[in-house]
Amino acid sequence: MKALMSLGALIGVAGLLLLGGMVLDVVPSTYIRLVEGYMPIQMLLEVACYVIGFTGLSYTLNAMGMAIPRFWQGIGFWVFFLLYLKYRMYPPIPFSVRAMYGTVSLVAVFMWVSASEEDWQKFKQPIMNVLDAQTGGNRLLRYLYLVLLPILIGGFSFNAMMPKSEEPIELRTVHPAPPASTKVHGKTYTLQTSQNPYRVNPEGKYDQEFSNANIVEQGMGRLMKPNANPWDDKNQGYLKYVREGGEIFYQNCHFCHGDNLNGRGLHAFAFNPIPANFTDPGTIAQLQETFIFWRVSKGGIGLPNEGFPWASVMPPWEQHLTVDEIWKVVLFEYWHTGYYPRTWD
Amino acid sequence: MGLLAGKRVFSIMALCMMVGLLLLPIVVALPSLAIGEEAPAGDAAKKDGDKVEKGRDVYYKTEGIVVGAPAPKTVDGPRDYPRYNFESRVLLWFANQQHLYYGSFVLAVPIFCMIIEFMGVVTKDKALAKRYDQLAYDFIKISLTAYSLTAILGGILIFTFLTLYPAFFSYLSGIFRPVMHIYALMFVAESGTLYIYYYGWDKMKEGFLKWIHLSMSVILNIIGTLLMFLANSWIGFMMSPAGVDEQGRYLGNIWHVIHTALWNPLNLHRILGNMAFGGGVVAAYAAYKFLASKTDEDRAHYDWMGYIAMALGVAFLIPLPFAGYWLMREVYAYRQQMGITLMGGLLAWLFIIQATMIGILFLSTNYYLWQAMGRMRGAEKYQRYIKYLVFILACGYMVFITPHTMVMTPAELKAMGGQQHPVLGNYGVMSAKNGGINVIITTTVLSFVWYMRGNKVSTVSWAKFGNIFMGIFFACAYFNIIFLAVYGYYIPANVRVGLSVPQVATTLSCLFFMFALNSVMMKGAKQLGPIEWGKISARSQYALIMLATAFTWMMGLMGYIRSSVRLFWHVNEIMRDNSPWAYTHTVGFAANMISFNVLFFWITILFVFWLGSLGAKKVPVESKAGIPGSIPQPIASH
Repeated sequence: MKALMSLGALIGVAGLLLLGGMVLDVVPSTYIRLVEGYMPIQMLLEVACYVIGFTGLSYTLNAMGMAIPRFWQGIGFWVFFLLYLKYRMYPPIPFSVRAMYGTVSLVAVFMWVSASEEDWQKFKQPIMNVLDAQTGGNRLLRYLYLVLLPILIGGFSFNAMMPKSEEPIELRTVHPAPPASTKVHGKTYTLQTSQNPYRVNPEGKYDQEFSNANIVEQGMGRLMKPNANPWDDKNQGYLKYVREGGEIFYQNCHFCHGDNLNGRGLHAFAFNPIPANFTDPGTIAQLQETFIFWRVSKGGIGLPNEGFPWASVMPPWEQHLTVDEIWKVVLFEYWHTGYYPRTWD
Repeated sequence: MGLLAGKRVFSIMALCMMVGLLLLPIVVALPSLAIGEEAPAGDAAKKDGDKVEKGRDVYYKTEGIVVGAPAPKTVDGPRDYPRYNFESRVLLWFANQQHLYYGSFVLAVPIFCMIIEFMGVVTKDKALAKRYDQLAYDFIKISLTAYSLTAILGGILIFTFLTLYPAFFSYLSGIFRPVMHIYALMFVAESGTLYIYYYGWDKMKEGFLKWIHLSMSVILNIIGTLLMFLANSWIGFMMSPAGVDEQGRYLGNIWHVIHTALWNPLNLHRILGNMAFGGGVVAAYAAYKFLASKTDEDRAHYDWMGYIAMALGVAFLIPLPFAGYWLMREVYAYRQQMGITLMGGLLAWLFIIQATMIGILFLSTNYYLWQAMGRMRGAEKYQRYIKYLVFILACGYMVFITPHTMVMTPAELKAMGGQQHPVLGNYGVMSAKNGGINVIITTTVLSFVWYMRGNKVSTVSWAKFGNIFMGIFFACAYFNIIFLAVYGYYIPANVRVGLSVPQVATTLSCLFFMFALNSVMMKGAKQLGPIEWGKISARSQYALIMLATAFTWMMGLMGYIRSSVRLFWHVNEIMRDNSPWAYTHTVGFAANMISFNVLFFWITILFVFWLGSLGAKKVPVESKAGIPGSIPQPIASH
């Protein structure tokens, strides 16, 4: 047990040094890479490692007679987590999300330090000591708090009220609700029931299973499945149309959406926000194919009211492409990213 | 003997009367049902000779004879939208919400009474049985005053409809005409049953008569539930109309009008929601009384009452997210547009707030249970592991509340390099959120298991094996939930939706199997010390108040979301809202309005509690209840 705790303490110290380095900008945030495809779980595991490390550290220090008071344990953990979110995570997390996480972690710390009466007494003892001010040091602290707290609150208030020159926050609806139907090139498509006419097997029949079996592998690298190379001239049906969709994509879309469909094309950073990243599981992977068909056809200009402030420069592609071409591009986007369109059956 | 026989006859007569009251509305309504289907059609046929106009049901796609007028095409003006110098929609929102709060409360509490009274009847320990009986009585007493207020608020709601939305209300009441009076008569039946049930409590407190009394509570709850189902059919019709043609003309089949696409999911969701809400309100009442108590006896009683109410509320809270999931699934199946507006579009941020509230509910519950361990000797062995449960809960919670569309400044957007964050963006989708909430619920189950065995040591011969098995079971459950949450990213969306089934099954397995196994292991267990009712921290009671407030706020929020998903329709795709208020409020305004409704409800319910306490008379307690280990005694006479 002792050995395990010592190992935990070691992890804790190493983790703290690493985070300290990141805070002081000595160690870059990317020093330990967040591995694409595993990032969310990696983050949770990292925080879990820190918790194990802190447990070990606390145990070891306690055994050495240098126990950290519960009050400082609680405050310390909360500060650690705020710093972790700010300096370890990249790209930077927006303040609104950090505020949410910060509040949750503060509540969690409170739950921890007050879970039992004994812990709660330990936690509030330093606060009570300062309030009681039985010693000179505590008396001094109490006066300091008396002066500093109003200044701090005043500072926060001033900062919050002060007019700012930065652009205001936008609560943007990235995926506005689609209409029940859309009219493209004179034909009406019901979004809930329409299907991509090119999702067909070599015999030309609509076949979701066939296309699902031939998309690229997900995960790191995104590799083509064996015998599922769309650029093989012998392929018919789905893979043939993927190739045709790819050709249209690279002639029209990749300038903004990028070679890898990750929204980082040649012109991408001229726009704010940058174009949609199709490789993210929050975009096309969440949507029906007909939704993409509607968005591609109508472009930014065709965003409904709830798409305010209509921050999209995508042209209405129905003015440049045929219906068939749009369906083929949609087909290619799903194939390339390895995602399956949402279906309701 | 003669007196007893008389009472018996009287109670059986009362029970029969209740059954009669239950059946009365149906019997009375039978002719009106028949008329509703045939008479207008007959009239129409007479007027137009043999020509009968037929229409096609917008949902069931069946043909029917048109027997109703088309939905009115309203225009903004004093005829269709008369108004005060105030937004009519907000007034209606307020009246509706208050009626719903009280309605939920008075429907939920009798169900609690039924359960608790039943527990009292079957419990062999006489002292405990008496305690349960007193508790059930306390519950019904609270709901009685609230019941009159519910009826008053219902009246206010109808007057608000009639005054401010006459065209809409006239259309809706025209469609539901065949069942409108059933609803009213059911209300009469509910009132009659409730009063007999309440006032007959003392007269039917023992033996056979008690069983009759218990049967009355069953009938009371059947009536209450049917009432709620009928009310649900109106909102179900407004969201997903059926039984009418494209113009909104009634086609003569009232069952189609009632049984819309969303009726059943709404029914289930509301039953569970009402129960959880009712439990929360009673727990808050007990917490308030606990904090205000001056004696150990009172503290012991209200501590126990709060615990029972919380346990019942949470028992219905646990399956609530799954019922909500079913409702959303049906919404998507009914109209994809509606589903995306709710969860991915215009109202998505409100769902993040909802997730936050759900998390608060479970966090408060866990916190209360950990605090409750403090009143039993022997539970210390679990308390040192609480920090790990906090960590698991916090992780699950953070994943659960991560928004898909993050709020950020354009500068932050640029720094992030796109709308989706590569790490946190993954938490914003359903696969991760299902994992998050299931982890939270499983942890709550674990906290309950720890609480139930807090002051006990199992004496069964296979105790060690049982403990190891339970540990492994929970570990496997966590692993399975998290694995499926991650796996969900690698499979088609329709399969991913299906993954929620094994995730839920895992959580429910923990709930049922672990509770059952724990109960078997703890049978005849060695007690390390008694439960010292009343010896609990004040923080725990604030957790109960937090629980109730979060329930109330969440109910207000979800009601608003459900209602505003119709966007600019009074009746979805049938009757358009042409008032000046046919727009969706901002998130800030909605939040303020919900908070106002919550505040108003709590102020008035405090008044109701105060009224309830006026009738309570103190009686000397028979034994020194409240001292460590003793049973809290009833503190008021009937």
